[in-house]
Amino acid sequence: MTLLASPLHERHAALGAKFAAFGGWEMPLEYAGGGVLKEHSAVREAVGIFDVSHLGKARIAGAGAAAFVNSCLTNDLGRIKPGKAQYTLCCDEASGGVVDDIIAYLHDDDHVFLIPNAANTTEVVRRLVAAAPAELTITNEHRDYAVLAVQGPRSTELLAALGLPTDHEYMSFETADLDGVELTVCRTGYTGEHGYELVVPAGDAVAVWDRLFGTQVEARACGLGARDTLRTEMGYPLHGQDLSMDITPVQARAGWAVGWTKPEFWGKAVLSREKADGPRRTLWGLVANDRGIPRAHMQVLAADQTVGEITSGTFSPTRKVGIALALLDSAAGLGEGSQVEVDVRGRRSSMTVTKPPFVTPSVK
Amino acid sequence: MNVPEDLRYTAEHEWVRVEPSGVVRVGITDFAQDSLGDIVYVQLPAVGSKVSSGDSFGEVESTKSVSEIYAPISGEVTARNEGVEASPEIINSDPYEEGWLVEIQIADPSEVEALLTAAAYAELTQS
Repeated sequence: MTLLASPLHERHAALGAKFAAFGGWEMPLEYAGGGVLKEHSAVREAVGIFDVSHLGKARIAGAGAAAFVNSCLTNDLGRIKPGKAQYTLCCDEASGGVVDDIIAYLHDDDHVFLIPNAANTTEVVRRLVAAAPAELTITNEHRDYAVLAVQGPRSTELLAALGLPTDHEYMSFETADLDGVELTVCRTGYTGEHGYELVVPAGDAVAVWDRLFGTQVEARACGLGARDTLRTEMGYPLHGQDLSMDITPVQARAGWAVGWTKPEFWGKAVLSREKADGPRRTLWGLVANDRGIPRAHMQVLAADQTVGEITSGTFSPTRKVGIALALLDSAAGLGEGSQVEVDVRGRRSSMTVTKPPFVTPSVK
Repeated sequence: MNVPEDLRYTAEHEWVRVEPSGVVRVGITDFAQDSLGDIVYVQLPAVGSKVSSGDSFGEVESTKSVSEIYAPISGEVTARNEGVEASPEIINSDPYEEGWLVEIQIADPSEVEALLTAAAYAELTQS
């Protein structure tokens, strides 16, 4: 299969990026002269810029678009006003498993824009199209836009230097003009830092990228390697690892992104039942007590019995210790402060159960 | 990639330097550290352990992956670099000098001659 490339691919190659496949796209993992640790700390301490153009884009337009989306996806669009975005889930009606986690931009009652994950965009669009009334238009605009995430404590200073809007509320978005390019500036991100995501027409991506790196605020290009360590420190789930068709939002503790009192959303019946009965397993954080580094799929043990499995694990650059998200069996009765062991390639590493985040977020 | 002429190499991207004392110093190559990315953890064999060429005898782990290290040569481990255990990033910044991993007292000096030359290793990393 041929990998798709971002419109910024040549810029990344010129910066000495190492590339890796993400959801069918060849995207930068890290850059020469950077590396995961430097890129990670640039975002925590200054500002980093990520190309996340592999993320999907889909538009639902027509009379009642927002009401339709609200009857499908889990979170309640009634909780937000037009001009705001919301984290939501597309669940399977029968199993309650998560088809994808998505950011929904509410333009108005008749217009919603979605940012799904790269690998799941086609499936999310397919499910929406199959359910939609004829008067709605649903378009997969995956390759029409680039997405640039500008993240870190100096992100506001950087965007302000370009005259872009910066003082809007967390999770809200505004349309702006940069040298005649119309772009959307959203106060979102997946790093736990104050930041913005810019949705830019694909043909203008290079020009916007160059402007972002041309201000007096020194920004570092950051790859998806650092994005993963940053999001793991926040306990943010990655679809395919911490959320999946086999892991429901109730198990993944994503119930906050479900509008339980809405009349309907895909999976409402099965998920409401699971919530009432209590899930058979729950997503927790683990912090290593030694130098072990947990990785996805490693087994978690308590009293020599397997009690769960790591879904995401890495070395936390901020805390300088191994951290993980793990699904732990409810029957094991574990909770905050419980001691467990993780089988790290045959060695037992001691870890403490905790509630994420592992690092205090400063998104607002 | 930097491939010093005076060292010998393995196909597993390790280097070997024969010290005047007769021990060999072992580390991972510039190519290996670059492929791994930022190294955050190193596990080395205990001093006194007997190793055979090809044995896995430790691990080098980066933010994104883990790689086993193999004994390039048979013998007894006589020293381990405590500097890299405390500060694994030294392997990234200086893989051939400060970033060495262990020293081995070799049993059979002819084993060194069987290792790759710099030219042969450089060719391997380009293919």
